[in-house]
Parts: sequence; C-alpha cells; structure tokens
Amino acid sequence: MPESTHLQAIATAIIDGEAEDAMEATKAALEDNVDPMEILNRGLMDAADEVGKRFERSEYFLPELMLTGRALKGAMEIVKPVLLEKYADNDSQVKGKVVSATVHTDIHDIGKNIVSSMLTAAGFEVTDMGVDVPIKSIIDKAEEIEARVICLSALLTTSMPFMKDLIQLLDARGIRQKYIVLVGGASVTESWAMHIGADGTARNAADAVKLARAKIGA
Amino acid sequence: MLNYLDILDRAQTGPYISEENWDLEKIAMTTRRLVKKYKLEWNPNELVTDDAALSEAIWKAGYEMAVELGSYSRSTERIIQLSQDEIDSGIRNMPQEVVMGEGKDARTLYARHLNDERAPLFFGGSPGTPIPEKIFLANVISYMQEPLIDLATCGTLVEVDGREVRTGNPIEIVSTRRELQYMRQGLKRVGRAGMGMLAAQSSVSELGDLAAAHPDYLRSCDSHLVPMLNELKMDHRNISRAVNSLEYGMVNASLPCVIVGGLGGGPAGSAVINVASYLIANITCLADYHILHPIHVRHVATSTRDVLWVINATGQAFARHAPTIIVADIYPKSGAGTKELLYETAANAIVNAVSGNHLEGCGAADGNAPNCSGLEARLMAEVALASHRMKMSMKEANDFVLQLLPKYEHVFTQDGNPGKPFNEVYDTVKIEPLDFWQKMYEEVKTELKEMGLKL
Repeated sequence: MPESTHLQAIATAIIDGEAEDAMEATKAALEDNVDPMEILNRGLMDAADEVGKRFERSEYFLPELMLTGRALKGAMEIVKPVLLEKYADNDSQVKGKVVSATVHTDIHDIGKNIVSSMLTAAGFEVTDMGVDVPIKSIIDKAEEIEARVICLSALLTTSMPFMKDLIQLLDARGIRQKYIVLVGGASVTESWAMHIGADGTARNAADAVKLARAKIGA
Repeated sequence: MLNYLDILDRAQTGPYISEENWDLEKIAMTTRRLVKKYKLEWNPNELVTDDAALSEAIWKAGYEMAVELGSYSRSTERIIQLSQDEIDSGIRNMPQEVVMGEGKDARTLYARHLNDERAPLFFGGSPGTPIPEKIFLANVISYMQEPLIDLATCGTLVEVDGREVRTGNPIEIVSTRRELQYMRQGLKRVGRAGMGMLAAQSSVSELGDLAAAHPDYLRSCDSHLVPMLNELKMDHRNISRAVNSLEYGMVNASLPCVIVGGLGGGPAGSAVINVASYLIANITCLADYHILHPIHVRHVATSTRDVLWVINATGQAFARHAPTIIVADIYPKSGAGTKELLYETAANAIVNAVSGNHLEGCGAADGNAPNCSGLEARLMAEVALASHRMKMSMKEANDFVLQLLPKYEHVFTQDGNPGKPFNEVYDTVKIEPLDFWQKMYEEVKTELKEMGLKL
C-alpha cells in the first residue's frame, strides 16, 4: 500500500474519532515501513489540526474533540516508541507536557475539557486533573511528570483567586521559572492574567493552543 | 414520589461509570442516536418555529433520554437511575403555580401554555454578574424600581469590606449575607419590601446558601438556585442546596446550563438534553421551577441563532406537552451603553414571550462585568409584554427576530462588546439613566415600533 494511502487511513480515523481504526491504521503503516515522523506529522497532527478547524467552524462539537483525543492517544502509544527509537535525539515531537485543571472550589469543566482536547490534538501530552483541584496537588503533579505548562481554568469569579495563589506558591517554592502558567475561563481577562503574574490567557481553545505553542517555542 | 433520601441512596448504590464515559458514551452517544432517530434538525432562519411535529419529537427524545440515562453523581461516580414511572411522577408533580414574595408585592409564577392569556412575569437583575460592593445597592435598585419588574434577582458580590471573596472561604458566608442585606434594603427603598427574590447569588458553593436560610436574609417566600452540572450531573454539594430548603421552605429553582455545541452537539441535541435536564431536575433538584439558560460554547450569549432556537424548542416542548414553570435567563453579549444590548434583549424577549417562558435579566456583557442596568430590563419587559398583547404568532416572532439579528450579530465576530459599567451609564445617586443611555433606549424603542412592535 502506498504511503499516502496509509497516512490517509490514519487521518480519516483521527478525524472520525475512531480509536481502534486509528491504532490499526498506525500499526499497518509502521509494518509497511512508513516513516514514524511522517505518521506523526502528516497522519496524526494534520488530521488533528483539521478537527480543530472543524470545531472552530461549528462543524464539530465537544464529543468529536474528545473522540479525536482518544484516537490520538491510542495511535501515539503505538507510534511513539518507534519514533523515539528512530529519532532518539529528537523527543521534541511531543511538544511538551501539560497539567490542566479547574482550580479548587470550581466544578465547571467544559472549557477545560475543550482546551485539554485541543492541546492533545496539537501534540501536547496533557494530564487533565479534573475539577476542584487543590493548588498544591496541581503543583505536585507538574513536578512529578516534569510538565512545562500548567493550564488553570475557572469559571467562577470567586474561584479565580486560587490561580493567583498557585502562582504565589510556585514563587514561594522557588520553582516559578520552571513553568509556563496559562489561565482561562469565562471571566478571565488579559488584565487579570497580567495582574496575577500568569504567562498568558486566551479567548478560546484554538487561541490557547497557539499561545501554548508560542510560549513553549514549539 | 422519590425524596432526597432515595436520591442519596441511589447515588451510593447505582452502577459505577467514569465521568469521561458518562460524558461520551452516555450523553454524547445517546444524544446522537436520539437526534437521528427523531430526525431533529434546526433551521438557522427559523429560530421560532410553529412546527408542532418538531416540538413533539424534541419532547419525546428528551423524555426518552431522561428515562434511559437518569442522572450522574459526580460525588460517587455512580448513575442515579430513575424509572419511567418516577419520571412520570415527577412530571405530574411539577408545580403549576408558585407564590413568591409576600403581601401586596407577592406574585404567582405559573406554568405558561402556548398563547397563554396571562402575561409572563419578569425577574429584574443581572443574575450572577460580578458587581463591586460600592455600586451593588444602586445597581439592584435600578431594577427593583422598574414598575414592570415583578421579582428581584442580582449579581454576585466579589469583594466585601475591600476583601476578595473566595468560594468556600468563610468570607462567602459574609458576602452572601451582605448581598441579601443590600437586596432587602433595596426593596424597602423602592417601597416593595415584599417582592420575591431569586437570590443568594453570591453563594457559589453551598456554604453561602446554608448561611442565608434565615428570615433576615432569604425568606421562605424567596427562591435560590440548585444547579445541575453539564450534562445531567449532580453532586452532593448541590443536592445539599435543595435539601437545605426542605423544612425551611425556600423555592428551589433548578439551573441546568446546557452547553450548545458541547456534549449534545448542535442545537437539536442541546434542546433534547435541556428537556431531559428538567425532567431529571424535577427529582434531583427538588425543583419548584426551572431556569432556562443554554450557553453557547464559544459566545456564551443567549442571543445567538442556535441558542435562541434551543430556547424556543425547550420552552415550546414543555408548554405543549407538560407545562411547567420556566424562567429564561437573558444573557446578551453586549453590555450597557450599547444599542446592541437593547437589540439582543429585544430578540430574547420576543422568543421567550411566545415560547411559554417567564423572563429574567439581563446578564449583560455575558454576565462577566458590572456593565448592566435596570434600563435594559425595562426594555425586556416592555418588548415581552408587547409580544403578549399583540398575541404574536410564532411566525411573526420569527420575522421580528430575523430583522433584529443583523443589528447585533457582528458582536460575535468582534472582540466582544462589553459597553460600560453601571456607574458610567446611570447616575448612581439619583439612580436614573444618564442622558446618552436614555437616548439610545428611546432610539431603539422607536426602531422597534417602526418594525411593527406595539410598544
């Protein structure tokens, strides 16, 4: 089977959010000696970008994003070991590790889920800690997995101060410079992000991905 | 009829499912299947529809979803299963009338039917919007003093005595009580001390809610919110709010904010989830009435085409098939001091008036900033009452809304349209609109009259 057919099969499975098909197509491509870098870039990432664009055009909705995230995760588990073996010195294909969470006392998760899915689709390795997560736990997780980015979400105005607390705790622990801290949520503004010393905010999930990419230099 | 103990028992013993699987395999997949089964489609140019068959299909799909899925307890990661008989019992027991407030200021919220002879009621206030303490009292008075406003609501205090309010912090107790002190003070100031309230908006967790259940704060003739989580989820903290009202007697307003473009996909699926949410909320939120507040996944506002369609579809589904008390939150994208806010408010008011809903508003500027005032609430009530007096048909309502959309839809493609804070559109001492804001309101009213609205 030609390489382009393999890549098309992978892309179709990702766009359709079919995890098993994506894993099978990835396996088949590797067995046919398709370059894992091509699988990653032209099969998986291009398809993920397309899903993001469809979401922005309101052709796709949250379930499609989540299903694509599942499919990508499955395919990455297959291609990543081969990729690392072949390109041992180049582990930048995973753009960076991200810890995402809705902060302590806030239980809203839709916005955070969308950003997590979009970041995953863009090649970031995202650890989504869920909602109502104590700031200490977020920092501990970031330290544990050696994350580069911490994404904090809050819908409630009265939960937003916990974002500031997290940044202050990073400072207090002397590890602020290790992390890019991005904040988001319906009430979060650029001026609030600056006020609390965050590294940025974005108006929507697509802009959040662009921001994370820009900050991490990916 | 189930009681809260049954709900808590089932949350402990129901089948386990991870939250991700509930979202995807239960909510998303069931919605897709039902939308396909009932051939549900929305039309971006027919936001208010008189298609009775479509309304029936949305009702049936929502009912089927409620019976099939039940609710999900985020506290225990278990499904709260509900039988068809229990859902039916919940429908039979939906209150048809609820008296709010007391004395001469009392109002009876009622389950509206399509073409109901009785006019809708109006809650005035910017529900949930963060409002600085220094303008809070003047802001709520700006709504309470409006003669057409029947019931009061308010924003959220984000600081008290110069201190930041944090959810779950002891200061949440202080902020909720302070909010209610201002509300009661405001009602007395305008001579409507008995007016009913939907308040304790500063109670973001259950903490403030528990602290406010006292005759000095939230009276038993007032209501408070019992939120559901997206989608069809509850947790013990929110059930606590409902249980808190049991002996005390506060009115429970369920608040499922279905995300349009979220797990239910587009408008059709979102309407199905909204119908199911109320059927579940009858039981899990012990709801006396329901708040209708679909949220656009990107724009938030209730004035986008797809959200207006969901509002009409949900309101109609109940008004036609199982009338219940529905109060629609109006959340425009634009803020005070802009004409777009008034156009968005008018579009929402028309859609809700003909869809069997009461109205609450307005959460101007997406409810994100204190850029709200009583003037847009006045227009909300005037437009809804005009629609009611004219016995506006669905077709006529749709025509009006299609004329209004081009006047404001650009706000969804620009960087918001937040307008100005309350203290820059009102004289906060006299509590009256500044000239430029009053003039904008008069100009928009003239335009609406020229469009044929009998204001």
